[in-house]
Amino acid sequence: MRGTFNGYERANGEVGIRNYILLLSMVHCANTVTQQIAWRTGAHSITHDFGCVEFADQHARTRLALLSAALNPNVYAVVLVGLGCEQTDHDSLMKEIAAAGKPVSYVGIQESGGPGEAVAVGEAMARAYQVEAAVQARRPYPVSRLVLGVQCGGSDWTTALSGNITIGAMTDLLVAAGGSVIISEVAGFPGSEHILAERAANPKVGLEIINMCDELRAEYVALHGQTIEAVNPTPGNKAGGITTLVEKSMGNVKKMGMDARIQGLIHAGQHVPGPGLWMLDLRAPAIDGNATSGFAMSGAHMDVFSTGRGSPLGNVVMPVLKLTGNPRSYEEMRGLFDFNAGVVLQGVSTAEAGEALLRRVIEIADGEESRSEINGDFEFIIPREHTK
Amino acid sequence: MCELRALLADPGDNVAVVQQKVTAGDRVWVNGTAVTAAEDIPLGHKMALKEIPVNAMVVKYGVPIGRASAVIRQGEHAHTHNMEDITGQLCREYAAAFRKKAGEER
Repeated sequence: MRGTFNGYERANGEVGIRNYILLLSMVHCANTVTQQIAWRTGAHSITHDFGCVEFADQHARTRLALLSAALNPNVYAVVLVGLGCEQTDHDSLMKEIAAAGKPVSYVGIQESGGPGEAVAVGEAMARAYQVEAAVQARRPYPVSRLVLGVQCGGSDWTTALSGNITIGAMTDLLVAAGGSVIISEVAGFPGSEHILAERAANPKVGLEIINMCDELRAEYVALHGQTIEAVNPTPGNKAGGITTLVEKSMGNVKKMGMDARIQGLIHAGQHVPGPGLWMLDLRAPAIDGNATSGFAMSGAHMDVFSTGRGSPLGNVVMPVLKLTGNPRSYEEMRGLFDFNAGVVLQGVSTAEAGEALLRRVIEIADGEESRSEINGDFEFIIPREHTK
Repeated sequence: MCELRALLADPGDNVAVVQQKVTAGDRVWVNGTAVTAAEDIPLGHKMALKEIPVNAMVVKYGVPIGRASAVIRQGEHAHTHNMEDITGQLCREYAAAFRKKAGEER
């Protein structure tokens, strides 16, 4: 196994695996100008429905998501695109992004003389950064510097059995090599807290996991008047062969491997404090893009995503490596998948599959485009908490 | 013809997941051992590898995933009709024990 990947050094000592230029819309009203700059330059962009007339707690989530995406190590430089009278304070964002040593500029629609003028100014800024980014050379770094999110979605009967088990084998290998892996998808945790807490690095972390699951369980009852067991597994899960919630939850947590210990909980926008396996406690609706965006906000370089049926989900600041545990899906959707874990169903050992997956991770870290990037899937959701 | 297979998620499991639709009487291979299906089992569903007595745990991924609500004989389909979901109970008991232990160690 190769012990290094070729990445980009950042001014603050971090390492990126991409040199993306990121355009950030400061407010809903600046979305179209942001998109126009993106279309002209090919730079990635985040647009959203927020940034003005928000209550303080909600605006804090908006700001945190925008800032954290900008601070992802895969981002070379950032262009903030504002209207001029919005709630989002671009000055403070610029200061924080610049403090991380990252090139950052701002273009405002009102002060530029209108949308067409703002597009021209923003385009020039993005192009100048693209020229700088293009000449930066990659350098080798040990795989211990890699931070991965692991996730599943668009599931079928193979997702847990061959897909997530293969991710788990990869997780164990990367963690043993000193790298970092983040698990999240917190809605999938109740039902396996007794398994998760046993995997905690110490009793304090175990208790935090149990408390988190208790809070989630209480929240479901308070919001909906039903326990999680009452609605999960779903009729579709049962038709597919899943009988109980612990069975469903176990399939989910197999992504954390067999050996790695959970070092602690991290929260939205927080980077991993050290190497090993971490749990991102991101309270947001269970739609896949929330967890993906949460990993990006926690500084993950890449998301490794298992999907039996085939989800194209990508991310604006990370390649999303797509694998399937279903050999038939792999053959039918070759343009969607980066890796076939379906070989596990055909007799290849999980250990071998996990090692091959880690090799694929390193190839994509080196710069080979993931299918999510080739397909132009650069999603981002600002993860909002459940509204009560 | 392809041989029929079922995947054993963990060596300690007493059920395996069939990788094709299985018909009663089919020989299904699990890690080199053949088990005869006692009934039809849909793709992705669980087949008992040995007799699971009533109230015993059904084990998959190396952990109990439910309790047998009836005897599940070798080769039978293990699912909602003969398994009880005891997730809530498992988790509550564990959480209570964990809190107690954590309290004692503090």
